[in-house]
Amino acid sequence: MSSSGHAAGTSNGGSADAAAAAGAARRNTRMPKYSKFTQQELPACKPILTPKWVVSVFFIVGVIFVPIGVVSLLAARDVVEIIDRYDEACVPGNMTQNKLAYIQNETISKVCKRNLTVTKHMKQPIFVYYELDNFYQNHRRYVKSRNDAQLRDASKANQTSACEPEKTTANGQPIVPCGLIAWSLFNDTYNFTRGNENLPVDKKDISWKSDREHKFGKDVYPSNFQNGALKGGATLDPKIPLSEQEDLIVWMRTAALPTFRKLYGRIYFDLKENDTITVSLNNNYNTYSFGGKKKLVLSTATWLGGKNDFLGFAYLVVGGLCIFLAFVFTLLYFIKPRKLGDHNYLSWNRHPASR
Amino acid sequence: MEVTSWTTMKRFVYINDDSCRYSYCGNRISNTKYTFWNFLPKNLWEQFRRFMNQYFLIIACLQLWSHIAPVSPATTWGPLIIIFIVSASKEAWDDYNRYLSDKKANERKVWVVKDGTHRQIKAQEIHVGDIVWLHENDEIPCDLVLIGTSDPQGICYVEMSNLDGETDLKTRFVPSISANLSADQLGKVKGVVECPNPDNDIRRFDANMRLFLPIIDNEACPLTINNTLLQSCYLRHTEWACGVAVYTGNETKSGMSRGTAETKLTAADAMIDKLTIAIFTFQIIVVLLLGYFGNIWKDTQGLKQWYLMYPMEGPWYDFLVIPLRFELLCSIMIPISIKVTLDLAKGVYAKFIDWDEQMFDWETNTPAHSANTAISEDLGQVQYILSDKTGTLTENRMIFKRCCISDTINDGTVSYKAQSQDEEALVNAASNLNMMLISKDNSSAGIYFNGSDFHYELLDILEFTSDRKRMSVVIKDGQTGKILLLSKGADEAILPRASAGQQIQRYLEAVEMYSQLGLRTLCLGWRDLEEDEYKEWSKKFREASCSLHNRESKIAEVCHSLERDLHILGVTAIEDRLQDGVPETIKLLRNAGINVWMLTGDKQNTAIQIGLLCNLITSEPSSQLLSITGKTEEDILRSLERAFIIMKNTCETKDLAFVLDGCALEIILKHSKESFTRLAMLSRTAICCRMTPLQKAQLVAILKSAGYLTLGIGDGGNDVRMIQEANIGVGISGREGLQAARAADYSIGKFKFLRRLILIHGRYSYNRTAFISQYSFYKSLNICFIQILFAFLSGLSGTSLFNSTSLMAYNVFYTSLPVMTIIFDKDISETTVLQHPQILQHSQAGRLLNPITFCGWIGRSLYHALVIFFITICAYADEKSEMQELSMVALSGCIWIQAFVVTMDTNSFTYPQIILIWGNFVAFYMINLILSAIPSLQMYTIMFHLCGQPSYWITMALTVVVGMGPVMAFRYLRDMYRPSAINMLQQIEQSNGSIQAFGGMDSALESVRTNLTDLVTDSRRNSDSNYQPLLSD
Repeated sequence: MSSSGHAAGTSNGGSADAAAAAGAARRNTRMPKYSKFTQQELPACKPILTPKWVVSVFFIVGVIFVPIGVVSLLAARDVVEIIDRYDEACVPGNMTQNKLAYIQNETISKVCKRNLTVTKHMKQPIFVYYELDNFYQNHRRYVKSRNDAQLRDASKANQTSACEPEKTTANGQPIVPCGLIAWSLFNDTYNFTRGNENLPVDKKDISWKSDREHKFGKDVYPSNFQNGALKGGATLDPKIPLSEQEDLIVWMRTAALPTFRKLYGRIYFDLKENDTITVSLNNNYNTYSFGGKKKLVLSTATWLGGKNDFLGFAYLVVGGLCIFLAFVFTLLYFIKPRKLGDHNYLSWNRHPASR
Repeated sequence: MEVTSWTTMKRFVYINDDSCRYSYCGNRISNTKYTFWNFLPKNLWEQFRRFMNQYFLIIACLQLWSHIAPVSPATTWGPLIIIFIVSASKEAWDDYNRYLSDKKANERKVWVVKDGTHRQIKAQEIHVGDIVWLHENDEIPCDLVLIGTSDPQGICYVEMSNLDGETDLKTRFVPSISANLSADQLGKVKGVVECPNPDNDIRRFDANMRLFLPIIDNEACPLTINNTLLQSCYLRHTEWACGVAVYTGNETKSGMSRGTAETKLTAADAMIDKLTIAIFTFQIIVVLLLGYFGNIWKDTQGLKQWYLMYPMEGPWYDFLVIPLRFELLCSIMIPISIKVTLDLAKGVYAKFIDWDEQMFDWETNTPAHSANTAISEDLGQVQYILSDKTGTLTENRMIFKRCCISDTINDGTVSYKAQSQDEEALVNAASNLNMMLISKDNSSAGIYFNGSDFHYELLDILEFTSDRKRMSVVIKDGQTGKILLLSKGADEAILPRASAGQQIQRYLEAVEMYSQLGLRTLCLGWRDLEEDEYKEWSKKFREASCSLHNRESKIAEVCHSLERDLHILGVTAIEDRLQDGVPETIKLLRNAGINVWMLTGDKQNTAIQIGLLCNLITSEPSSQLLSITGKTEEDILRSLERAFIIMKNTCETKDLAFVLDGCALEIILKHSKESFTRLAMLSRTAICCRMTPLQKAQLVAILKSAGYLTLGIGDGGNDVRMIQEANIGVGISGREGLQAARAADYSIGKFKFLRRLILIHGRYSYNRTAFISQYSFYKSLNICFIQILFAFLSGLSGTSLFNSTSLMAYNVFYTSLPVMTIIFDKDISETTVLQHPQILQHSQAGRLLNPITFCGWIGRSLYHALVIFFITICAYADEKSEMQELSMVALSGCIWIQAFVVTMDTNSFTYPQIILIWGNFVAFYMINLILSAIPSLQMYTIMFHLCGQPSYWITMALTVVVGMGPVMAFRYLRDMYRPSAINMLQQIEQSNGSIQAFGGMDSALESVRTNLTDLVTDSRRNSDSNYQPLLSD
């Protein structure tokens, strides 16, 4: 940084006589008390954008960004991900024209089998996500439709404000947990097998620890849940306290984007390349009415998270651009040099005709 | 005697009579604006008269409807209430202090005399008609008519500095009819005072007094201001005095002249208001569009999203819900804190002026003071300075230089100290020539000359007025008994009244010659009066003095009849030296592109000479004076047209100035105001002489109406109107008292301090306000744009991405503190500014705060919003897209970018700036970590989660580089290849390390530059015309 740390200058010409008189008149004067602050003379550093400075900043940023980009990209590439969209495939062939009727008809079996091939060796733990698309968990009507006090405290079961329109049952009993979010709890289930070997999904600790301990009460039990005429999503076992209903806890952490993944569980087995995994799933959840996709995702994770190479690419591109700009500016400086601080550039030092 | 005219505006005060006691208000003074009970409603009412506050109140009320409120109502109510409390407490504190000082004044003990007995009562219990008994050094509790004093000659002294700022003592006289009353009689006296209804004129009191029996002389006696004791003055050097209360309480002259000054709005404020309205319009459009599409989304998509449970049939107001939600969401577009932030910043600018050591006047021991703390930015945008001459450009310290009596021209140099400038100069000069004034009182004067005393009886004084431009006395020679009229005054007021056949040519020449030297001239004349003539005149004069109606003009008429056929005695010349540093200051200001006009009551020649001396005009051939004169109206108008044509054709190449006098201005304003306005807009310099106070103000008004920012500077009471009329009034706390300084927005000790006031304080204030205001909009828009972008991902339903706590803290805390650091910022050093005053043209033309720069800020805001939003949603997609986390990532992105934006726009870093910018940054994390530790909050554990993720920090770094990289590259290219003058000066400062290094070269360039500057700045008005309308429209 080419900053010269010189103090903000003061005009000394005018204050010379003042300084001389200062000694005599200090005693009895209305003169303001001197301090660097009041005189706006605090020492200041005044950096300006010199070519050297700007080129080095861009260059250094570029040099730092490119390796980070490479590392991030490698990390993202390390992640193995298996994505299977099943919403279309699980509709029986005779009902593809009327998916809504299929999903709303409770008599039709929703069981569906899917075979997944492992493309690359996957080290445990393997994260099982479900992905929903075109699902607006962030909608104003939806995101507010909950009551945190009720979830935390058994004595506040009656607090159902903001839970509209899933507040109470028809006869006025408070619903616990109330609100649209809980009501629309995702209810597809997955079972994994590899050949004959069952791959159990560990559904413990899929939610945030802080949520289990502080946001959902250990003594709060579901009541009047999904009792209405209109059933939304999953039902809850009224004997299990909310703090242990981890699927609910995960679901209640609303997603900010209309496409989102939520953790379903973990598989603590290594999956080898070309393994075939059979998923037996219950396709219960209605995304057909609004044309949303449902996907099952098996993924490993790295220090950076899942298989998201945005950061890696962005760092490479930005770093590259910075280095490029550094070169352009250097080149520009040599092609079209301009002396900094030349008085003749000031408009009032040039002839007005040349303006 | 007959009362000449009956006007309805009258009050009768019966002395010492209880019957009329309660017909007028008591003496309770109240300067308070509020009472305890009406404070809250009245203050709220005042505050809600402002559009911004109404807007925020409506928003806050809408927030209460939870169905549409995107976030908790506290986000608007909190800041709104804080802002209200801050403004209200300031008002309450000021009002409480006023109440305390009122109370002190009201409960002060005063002595009154009731039917001969002295009693002590509280000042507030005085009523009209009471006789108040004052002792030495007492403050006068209400307006009194003096009826007796301890002085056998019936005079007393008052100090009136509280009223007119003049520190010298004034003499007050007991009216003749009560002059001979004893102290006992005074206590029992009965009578009636006829006086006009209360007004605020402290120089006029046209009244009569009549005393009742047993006092024999019950003729009505005229009263003038010289027979009064006015409230808030002090009795000095007089053992006691007593008077009749005529005006009490808030009806006294001092009470009537108190008034709340109109609040001035700066050009920058007006611009901010305009930009606010533009943003408001933009907001309405955005809200309507989003609301419309939101309703469409609801009808087409929303009904299919079963989990939203949209009812098929909503209430009738359903179509309003989504637009209103967006209105609330977008209400943050207009920063609620901008007024508080700006007020705070302006307060600091004002303090910097008060504190400035280099504007401290050692001679008079006065610091600069800004009475109006709200208009500092205007100083940096001044286009016209209208300056008084005497006392402002000159020292107002008269030195008798020359006189021309008969044929001889005498030189004598004497210096003196005095209150009434010219007269005392003459008296002193006379005493140095062995003609000493040894005694002078109310009715006589003694002169000691050549070892013997001469006594003169003073019969009448024909007072000076600015219309008559002369004063005379009628005296009676003690030895010979001859009656003489002695007159002195301006040449044009005396010489035409010379007796026929007298050679006045040589006096005219002498006047001419003295004026050429920049001296002030006075002509002297005298005449013998016959006894009869005087007696007859004296009667008329007394009548005129007693009249209640048109007294002034009647007196003038009577005086006029006496002052004729004068023997011209001679001409005196007095020098009034230029103040220290005036020529340099004027040169600097003119180089800064400010047009300086001189408005003076003095003669044309004197004014032109002073103009030459102080660099206002230069001599031929580089400049030309266009004189607008003429004998008849046609002549004057023709010469105006001619001046205009010359000005239009040659003002590019020559430094032109026009000169005109009061008479010409009067005619011009009557017949041809438009063409004068056009001329005024072209001329950089003007000398206007023989101006009355009103005309000075009229000139200011003309320039103001043409859209220019004017600064009026003066030192005397005759400048007050000009000072109040101008956008900025500057008073010189000078020798003519503090009247001007009191009326002004800024008071300084010397004219030369104007340089620092404008170039340093004004310029920095403008720059800083420009940044603070635009940045305030930038940061509000930034977060608002993110909310709008999020709307497209949340089904246009009006969900807020940010939670209530974050939104409130963002506006009130995270973004308000760093921007305040800009009040310490200096783009270029003071030395550089003073060396290159031309840089002021930047702020004058409003280059830093106009719709174009504002669009730049909006563009940057939109770009940053896009960067923050898209990087956040890309980096935090899929399994990471948890609402609270994503919102905190976006908020952190804002804070990071904001810290760098402020850093990049700061020109000089002092430690408070570094501490505030980066301390705020650290505070953001501290606060959010603390909030993340509270289980009941939505944000619980969020920040801990994020800080533990490498991807969070990587995202932040990416946001900053993508957000700031292009800004820096753009700025570098601009500074390097299309630099503004400010950039160049910064580079000059930088490349010279220390500015002193090239001082020598600089002075060499100076002369070249000065010549060119005038040309450049003249063409500025044309070349910058695209900037001008932005300010003036």
